[in-house]
Amino acid sequence: MVESFFTWLEASALGAFVKDQGATFATIEAVHLMALAVLGGSVFVSDLRLCNLVLVDVPSKTVTDNAHKYFKISLIVLLITGFVMLSGVATKCYHNFYYWVKMAALAAGIVFAFAIRQPLLRRDHAELNPLTLKLVGMASISVWFLVAASGRWIGFSG
Amino acid sequence: MLNSLALQFAEWLAAQPFSSSLHESFYMFNWLETTHVLTLMLSLGMLFTIDARMAGWWLMEVPASRLAARLTVPMWIGFAIMIGTGVTLFTAIPVRYTQSVWFRLKLILLFAAAINAFLFHRHLNASSGTWDLDKIPPKRTRIAAITSLCLWAGVVVCGRFIAYDWFDCGNEMSAFMNWAAGCVASTAAAN
Repeated sequence: MVESFFTWLEASALGAFVKDQGATFATIEAVHLMALAVLGGSVFVSDLRLCNLVLVDVPSKTVTDNAHKYFKISLIVLLITGFVMLSGVATKCYHNFYYWVKMAALAAGIVFAFAIRQPLLRRDHAELNPLTLKLVGMASISVWFLVAASGRWIGFSG
Repeated sequence: MLNSLALQFAEWLAAQPFSSSLHESFYMFNWLETTHVLTLMLSLGMLFTIDARMAGWWLMEVPASRLAARLTVPMWIGFAIMIGTGVTLFTAIPVRYTQSVWFRLKLILLFAAAINAFLFHRHLNASSGTWDLDKIPPKRTRIAAITSLCLWAGVVVCGRFIAYDWFDCGNEMSAFMNWAAGCVASTAAAN
C-alpha cells in the first residue's frame, strides 16, 4: 500500500515534471535549504534562549513567541518542497533507510513542537521550572538536527 | 593566466595524499559535507534572525543593536565551522571545484556578502541607539539587511548547484561558459 503510493507518486505528472526538467529538482532543493536556514534560525534563537545561552536580557517569551511564526512558515515551505522533491525520487526514497529515519524524526519534531513545546511555552515562563525550559530547548535542537542530518544522508546512500 | 594558475594549484593540491584520502573516504567526506550543510542552520539561521530584525520583520520589541550584539557570537561560531569544513571539502576535489562556474559564483557572492556586512556593521556602529526601537528601521538599514539575505540566498543556491555537472569542463557549452568556468583546455582549444 505505502510502496504503491510511492510508485504512483513518481509516475504522476508532478513526479515526471520534477524528474524530467533538468534544474527543477536542484532549484527546489535550494529553496528547501533556505527554508532549513530560517527554521534553524527560529529553532536556535528560541531554544538557545530557553537554555539561557543567548539573549538572556530579553524575556524568553518574547523570543519564543516571535520565533514560532517563522518556525511555522519555514516548516510549511520545507514540507511542500520536501514533498515535491520526493515525487521525483519516490521509489528510491522508499527503499532508503535514512529517508524513514528522517520521516520518523520529522513526525517526532512536529508532534513535539505543536503538542508539547508550544502549549508549554504559551504559559508564563516565570511559572515554569527553568530546568524544564532547558530540557525543552535541548530536545528541540536535537530533534531538528536529526531531521536535517538524516535528510542529508538520504543523498549519500543509494 | 589566473585560470591557469588556479588550475595548477588545484592539480598540485589534488596530488597530495590527504586530498585523495579524503575524497575516497565515504564517511569522512560525507560527514564533513553534512556538517557543512547543517551548520547553515546555526550560521545562516542567526544571520536571518539579525537581518530580519534589521528589515523590521520581527522581534521589534528587542532593541536592534542588542539583538545584533548578542547573536553575533553564535553566528560566527557557525560561520567558522562552515568555512573550516568548506575549505576541507575543497581540498578533496580541488580540480572540479576550481573549474565549477557555481563554485566561482559562490565565492563572488561570499565576497559581496562580506563587503555588505562590513559596510552594514560600520553603519550600525555609527547609528547605534538612534533607531533601536523605531517601528520601521531606517531605509538604508532595511536595504542592507535585504541585500544580505539575497546574497546569502544566492550563496545557498550556488552551493547546492555545485553538485550538478551542467557546466562542467568538457561539456558542449558556449565560449563564455568555458571562460566563466575557467576551462583552460577548452578555452585554449577554441583560441
